[in-house]
Amino acid sequence: MIWQLDLSVLTLIVVCAFATIMVKDLLSAAIIFGAYSFLMCLLWTEMGAVDVAFTEASVGAGVSTVLFIAAVHQTTRIVKPRKSGRMLSKVIGLAAALLTGLVLIIAEADFPEFASPFSPASLHLSPYYITQTLHDTNVPNIVTSVLADYRGFDTMFETAVIFTAGLAVIAILRRYKRDDRCDLPEPGVVSGGYPDTIIRFIARQLVPFIQLFALYVVAHGHHSPGGGFQGGVILGASFILLAISYDTGMIIGLMSERLNILLGNIGVLIYAGIGFLCLILGANFLDYSMLSKVLPATDKIMARSHGMLGIEIGVAIAVMAIVISIYINIISHGKYDKG
Amino acid sequence: MDVVVIILTVSALVFFFATTVGLLRFPDFYSRMHAAGKGDTLSSLLILMALVLYNFHEFNLANLLVALKILLIVVFIFMASPTATHAITDAGYESGVKPWSKNPEEES
Repeated sequence: MIWQLDLSVLTLIVVCAFATIMVKDLLSAAIIFGAYSFLMCLLWTEMGAVDVAFTEASVGAGVSTVLFIAAVHQTTRIVKPRKSGRMLSKVIGLAAALLTGLVLIIAEADFPEFASPFSPASLHLSPYYITQTLHDTNVPNIVTSVLADYRGFDTMFETAVIFTAGLAVIAILRRYKRDDRCDLPEPGVVSGGYPDTIIRFIARQLVPFIQLFALYVVAHGHHSPGGGFQGGVILGASFILLAISYDTGMIIGLMSERLNILLGNIGVLIYAGIGFLCLILGANFLDYSMLSKVLPATDKIMARSHGMLGIEIGVAIAVMAIVISIYINIISHGKYDKG
Repeated sequence: MDVVVIILTVSALVFFFATTVGLLRFPDFYSRMHAAGKGDTLSSLLILMALVLYNFHEFNLANLLVALKILLIVVFIFMASPTATHAITDAGYESGVKPWSKNPEEES
């Protein structure tokens, strides 16, 4: 860790955070937020948390920026000047914020000192993961094994949260009837009036490599940073790239709504299904070591490794489908036509 | 080897500096994109090539693989960055951003 670098990156992060709130133009705010995410990614890489940095780069800086810009594109760009609210509500808000802060500060005093080597977490938990992961699960990347095995239950519900977010977007934005009334302006034309050969050609050339990289990220998550979430987001982003450079109609031709929802369901079901399979085989929920009874030529340790791979694939499928579905819903006003 | 690495890095930094100056000082959208697109691509390529060479201090298979991956990133940037510049410039042209001219009275 180089503290000068840390300090400058942290300063820039704070500046970006304030700029995101203060800027009136929502498009600029979205772009500055992307820059903020990249800086966070830099900071995490600097701290050695490469997996988190990877997630931040693909999710925070990549896809969420695209989703924000799509939403801004479909709604309005400039913040309306809000009339200053009543004084009373402002005072109450300030008091509530200060009170919460105070309570948090008081509660924080009970925590062990930050990064203390004598806190319970670093005394008992971390050494176990660091020394026993390879022996227990045969997975060199400790982050993956903690994420997918030791706390697999948590990760399953993270996937479910993403799935629910996709469902919520569909529930709010999707309109089945063509003649529904809509307060928003008609969808603008995303690309220019004419097909742009350069962009289309390059996008077409790049997409297979991006998808290949995404699959590599999913499959290689055991040995290097990466895993289901990142890989799924990159897969979804490759489809969004196609949707931007061609038009949304083409992407709907490739990934229809039905297929999207089906894939999202299948992804979550793979995860939960592997958990239930363990249950049926007589172990605890998501205890992959029992899978060695089903998988040929594996002992209990390799079974845990394979089980993780299985749920990573499930996560990737679910995340990819949900990302694409959210993008299509936002960009086409839920009408699933060209946008 | 080190000399080449240093030369590549320093020239990359010079180009980055020129890009930044151009981005801040040029008068309109198109010339700014011109500075950003070209300078950024070239200096990223130079600095990545410097990394590839720096990686070969010990020549073995692992280093070779890392170098190959960096080279793949180089190819990716070489294709993606000019295309992105083109896309932004094209979008600006489509939405009717006027190019800068020396006498502003002429453009109505």
